[in-house]
Amino acid sequence: MLATLLLAVAMQQPAAAEPQALAVGAVAPDFALPGATQYGTLKNPVRLSDYKGKTVVLAFFFKARTRG
Amino acid sequence: MNAYRDQYAPVFKNGRNVVLIAISADVDTALASWARDADYPFLFASDTGSAVGKAYGAFKAQYKLDNRNLFVVGPDGKIAYRQTPFREIDPTAYTELSAAIAKLVPADTTAR
Repeated sequence: MLATLLLAVAMQQPAAAEPQALAVGAVAPDFALPGATQYGTLKNPVRLSDYKGKTVVLAFFFKARTRG
Repeated sequence: MNAYRDQYAPVFKNGRNVVLIAISADVDTALASWARDADYPFLFASDTGSAVGKAYGAFKAQYKLDNRNLFVVGPDGKIAYRQTPFREIDPTAYTELSAAIAKLVPADTTAR
């Protein structure tokens, strides 16, 4: 029983190094990041909290000017 | 990213009550110039330290880049839907995303 528990804990270690994607139902962490549009960079940071009450789609991607 | 642009009307309702923010570790000037060249109608955010990518679990330490992970945050500030990784070449990925957004955003009843 204890051995199983320890094994389970040990197996979770790599997961801690590589964070898991946030689950459905979790509170989306707020952020403030430099923003940009096709018209240029934005003067004010982009904050998730600015869009409270709206639906926000956060699309993480590898790198600019790559496919996808 | 081209698919987001090309489906901006059907999936993202042309940004009406839906805010699409594309996030990567690129600097903001690189994102702006790419958005201009490719005519992307949505917002970009520059997560150069990958702090936000880490907070959402999108960051891939091995490559020091964000995976193509997609989260839909509802009006209540909670994650309502996720697609991790986002299957950008799979048409059902957009159908699923579209359905998730439609559940959160009331149908647009205003006349065009």
